[in-house]
Amino acid sequence: MGTPAGARRAINPEGEGDGDELAFCGTCAFAPVCLPQGFDKTALAELHCLIEHVGPYAPSAPLFKVNDPFDAVFAVRAGAIKTYVIDDQGREQVLGFYLPGELVGLNGVYPARYPCSAVVLDTTTICRFSFPAMATLATRIPGIQQQLFRLMSKDIGQASMLAGDFSADERLAAFLISMAERYAARGFSATRFRLVMSRADIANYLRLATETVSRVLRRFQDDGLIAVDRREVELREPAKLRHLGRSVLR
Amino acid sequence: MPIAPIFDPELLVRYDVSGPRYTSYPTAPHFQADFGEDDYRHYAHASNDDPIPRPLSIYVHIPFCTSPCFYCGCNRVVTRERSKAADYLQRLAREIQMQSELFDRDRKVIQLHLGGGTPNYLDAAQLRALMDMLRDGFNFASGDEREFSIEIDPREADPDLLHALAAIGLNRASFGVQDFDPGVQAAINRIQPIEKTLAVIRSARNAGFKSVSIDLIYGLPQQTVEGFAATIDAVIGIRPDRVAVYSYAHLPEVFRAQRQIEASELPTPATKLQLLGTAVNMLAAAGYRYIGMDHFALPADELVRAQESHTLQRNFQGYSTHAECDLLGLGVSAIGRVGDCYVQNARDLLNYYSAIDAGHLPVVKGYVVTNEDALRGEVIQALMCHGSVEFRDVEHHHPGLDFAAHFGDEMHRMSSLARDGLVDVDASGIRITGRGRLLMRVVAMVFDQYLAQPREQVTRFSRVI
Repeated sequence: MGTPAGARRAINPEGEGDGDELAFCGTCAFAPVCLPQGFDKTALAELHCLIEHVGPYAPSAPLFKVNDPFDAVFAVRAGAIKTYVIDDQGREQVLGFYLPGELVGLNGVYPARYPCSAVVLDTTTICRFSFPAMATLATRIPGIQQQLFRLMSKDIGQASMLAGDFSADERLAAFLISMAERYAARGFSATRFRLVMSRADIANYLRLATETVSRVLRRFQDDGLIAVDRREVELREPAKLRHLGRSVLR
Repeated sequence: MPIAPIFDPELLVRYDVSGPRYTSYPTAPHFQADFGEDDYRHYAHASNDDPIPRPLSIYVHIPFCTSPCFYCGCNRVVTRERSKAADYLQRLAREIQMQSELFDRDRKVIQLHLGGGTPNYLDAAQLRALMDMLRDGFNFASGDEREFSIEIDPREADPDLLHALAAIGLNRASFGVQDFDPGVQAAINRIQPIEKTLAVIRSARNAGFKSVSIDLIYGLPQQTVEGFAATIDAVIGIRPDRVAVYSYAHLPEVFRAQRQIEASELPTPATKLQLLGTAVNMLAAAGYRYIGMDHFALPADELVRAQESHTLQRNFQGYSTHAECDLLGLGVSAIGRVGDCYVQNARDLLNYYSAIDAGHLPVVKGYVVTNEDALRGEVIQALMCHGSVEFRDVEHHHPGLDFAAHFGDEMHRMSSLARDGLVDVDASGIRITGRGRLLMRVVAMVFDQYLAQPREQVTRFSRVI
């Protein structure tokens, strides 16, 4: 991530760095677009694009509910968010997990209502971008629009990733690799991370039985692919896992 | 594998201070009354959420005894009214049901321990009913995976009982012996003819118990080195898989029953030390390995193998071969550890019953383990189980930790233990020496953050020897 000449304190050097009124957060989804074009946070403020830091939220605090009017997108600064819908039989269907630097709520752009609910998983801090302001911003900074499209299509891609007829092993291997890649993309360790979501949520998301998740992970552990200590996961053989999950990951 | 203990009386005397037994860290006196039922439910639910939830270990406390042993410091109720057992079982049934609802059904129970009091105060039918309740509420591991044990008072057991216990799924038994010397038995109000004890233990073997353990106590009134040596000889003749040799702590101001003991009949400190030396040396000569604290085991025993493969654990049930479990404590005064919390039930029957009858879990105290507690607990556990700490291992579990920097004060104090020959310290770790092994508590205490006030050590805990 290049820091443009002349920018004041532009971005925190550590991946997990926390921003302030001048510096972008280390995990910011927009800093890579804004900074190269000379827009630091002061410049954004001058454009009346309010970036509001909210939280910390305690685990299981709701961020928005399905059918709430859409007025903002949210970026995770620290912690994690889960999105879900309740089906007509009253069962929860987990749609996705959002990690630091990732954006939640983009699927509410049309018809201006959130199509799902979002809840905080871990103690979480969030950046709130009011959407009208962001839309204005997109007209001023061309890269923003592209970045928004990129993030939206990534979101759709992730949702369709699990639609195929995959085995439990394939799903879990792909899930672990995907988590690792997403953490790595924000400067965190690519081989050791904390699974912030419960095994029931993982099972729901992967469309597996809860006990299947544990059974497969225990086998992965016995086979030396991973080491699990409570919520901490270490990928011991990432290449083998990637191979195992290749059909899902494509 | 830690090296064998060397009995060094001079060093033992110099370090004969009071200290915790570290079946938990922090130890039970630090549990807090503001931890309640809702807190416990929260941690129990959260324990189901781990990607691979821990297996379960269950402790059930049966507090009743028919007669008072004068040395006893356990939570117990002395009564001959058998109907009390039925009242108690009724409450246990409700507690088992409430607890079982907290844990996902795919979590297997791989360890179970019935302790007391005297678990065989309950008769065979009552014990069967208890096991049925537990099996209904929880998912028992299959025969090979399980370590299901019971403490048995041989005075109230016979071959039929042992066969009944094996039939309901128990596979380990520990027998309270204390001392075979009739003079000692009279002084502690526990008359237990050796023939009876031998017959009961033999029937446990015939009934198919996988492991048999014998508990002894040194430092009891009337005990002599010759008499205790004869007891140990007899124990070696029985060849139990495990032997525990506990130190008697005379604290009559804390434990009412001990006021029956004539202080003048207690062995002198020098004799007490000789009693320990006799046990350590005789058991070693007979091929027993020292596991740690009060425990010895034959080389083929799982405890020895767990120690060799570095998987030995220490919890409220003492040493255990199983990977870390979430530990449920059921019954009056029982202590549990689930996820990041410790929890303790009401310590007397009145409060235990009234909570259960009102539909509540009888939680009265607990503690939420901090990151620092977890770190120190891990170091203490390594010392107590394996006689050594490798800094690299601890640092691997705690990213960002620099062991030597974090434990600067502790390492400074450790160097004085090293000068006295209790430990060897180098850049990679701490290793307890042969001379230090009987003083492992003293080494572990260095990492105990809650022992700051020296006064506390004197009153709350038993002496190291």
